[in-house]
Amino acid sequence: MKNPIARLIIVLALISIGSGLFLALTYTYTIPHIEANAAHDQEVAILETLPDAVSFEELKNTEFPIYVGLDSSGNEVGFAYVAEGGGFQGMIGLMVGVDPEQEIITGVKILSHSETPGLGARITEAVFLDQFAQKSISDNFIVKEDIDGVTGATFSSKSVSAILEQTLPKAVEQYRESGGGK
Amino acid sequence: MKFGYEFIKGLWDENPTFRLVLGMCPTLAVTNAAMNGLSMGLATTFVLVGSNIMVSALKKVIPDEVRIPSYVIIIATFVTIADLALAAFFPEIYRVLGLFIPLIVVNCIILARAEAFAAKNSIGKSALDGLGMGFGFTWALTFLGIIREILGMGSVFGIKLFGEGFVSWIIFILPPGAFLTLGLILGLFNAVLGKKKKAQCS
Amino acid sequence: MELLLLFISTVLINNFVLSRFLGICPFLGVSKKIEVAFSMGLAATFVMTLSAIATWLIQHYILMPFGMERFLQYGAFILVIASLVQFVEMFLKKTSPALYQSLGIFLPLITTNCAILGLALLSALNGYDLITSTVFGFGAGVGFTLAISSMAGLRENMEFGDVPEPFKGVPITLITAAIMSMAFMGFSGLISM
Repeated sequence: MKNPIARLIIVLALISIGSGLFLALTYTYTIPHIEANAAHDQEVAILETLPDAVSFEELKNTEFPIYVGLDSSGNEVGFAYVAEGGGFQGMIGLMVGVDPEQEIITGVKILSHSETPGLGARITEAVFLDQFAQKSISDNFIVKEDIDGVTGATFSSKSVSAILEQTLPKAVEQYRESGGGK
Repeated sequence: MKFGYEFIKGLWDENPTFRLVLGMCPTLAVTNAAMNGLSMGLATTFVLVGSNIMVSALKKVIPDEVRIPSYVIIIATFVTIADLALAAFFPEIYRVLGLFIPLIVVNCIILARAEAFAAKNSIGKSALDGLGMGFGFTWALTFLGIIREILGMGSVFGIKLFGEGFVSWIIFILPPGAFLTLGLILGLFNAVLGKKKKAQCS
Repeated sequence: MELLLLFISTVLINNFVLSRFLGICPFLGVSKKIEVAFSMGLAATFVMTLSAIATWLIQHYILMPFGMERFLQYGAFILVIASLVQFVEMFLKKTSPALYQSLGIFLPLITTNCAILGLALLSALNGYDLITSTVFGFGAGVGFTLAISSMAGLRENMEFGDVPEPFKGVPITLITAAIMSMAFMGFSGLISM
């Protein structure tokens, strides 16, 4: 005859343990796929911003991740890094591709943002982002002068410019310090 | 056909969204596009059926005093499974639904059905109840999503309906549009079908 | 300073109810009279602040050190919240029956309030530290109280208006919420992040 309180605890404990075990199992089964998805997304972003690269390597000993692009012969064709900064509604994450030899941007891709759908969210469109390609890294990226902003989303457009302007010098510096470049 | 009724009632008579007015948070949040509404509905259906079956199977074993924590653990388990499965196999949908996948845990519909139905009925009937309620929720969300997407983006399931010249009412994919669409539809349903006594959450 | 900005942005700019769609069920259900709504808001704010702290502790001292957060987080968080509500209810009953009478009845409803679980998850997602998390929870509660009390004020006035029968209750509340939400969108440019 079980003590009713003991029964409460045992049932609850059994359900919790059963749940925990089942979830641990599900996790072990799904985590490889989840990580593969994340790696794939990152790879796509890096290769998109470095048009001449077919593969990449991560530089060692850097403050933040820097991915060096390699062409089919294994030569370095620039590097990409992740930049973040405040937008209109939250943080904006970018992947930026740089050619350090010619000192220009090779590509910009938006990784994450919380901007207004239909307005600020249009910073993800190629029409806007393609403007940054081939621009010098010492550019000021001023919206309405150097860059056409997205209509009705001046703040979001300016945020992207600001992030680039602020992070580019440091990224190039990190790249060179960590032994990047032929 | 009593058996069949357990399934059908969730689709119309006791539709969780339009008649019982339950699960409002995800209803407003993920109906900015048809696909989002559909995905959320299906994910919720999975959890609902799973938890109904589990609760019904264990109804004789779970003491009354700890029934709510037990149900909650069971529901959270199914939600986590759905979350991991979506992240692994449907990353696009996972990204779009985001925070609202774990919030299925506190979706009143699931706890309400567990307590009101699954705890008192057979596994078979509970499964049907879950399926019916889930599908009812799904079509309601998809319906709202279609309306908001057409008005707010001029597309449905991503397929553009109108030409370049169409000026969409962006407000419909933004928060005010969510409230407005749901409010108007609910008002319309009430006008056409007469009001239904709403279920209470807990 | 950053904390103050976070607080303001949580209350006004990304209001939990009107922008993030969290806490809608009580927002629709308990917003008929101002005093009742305000009491619900107070109770919720109290629980939210406490649960912001409690879930942060669970996340950082139990889940993360063992690498279990990815699959045990939801269960652990909701159990912590449910237990917290239970304790708060018992505590109120014993120490202040008067307070329990006015606030206590809302407590069980708060467990399924998506705003509580929502803020715990958002805090974990954004990697807030303990203090930031607490401010965030408090801000979420204040924003919720603001939204629900304002709605109650509007609904009390609407009692005298001529609402068409099919729209009485939830539909007209939602339409009102649409307008409130639009008004709150005006706060958007208030602070640059």
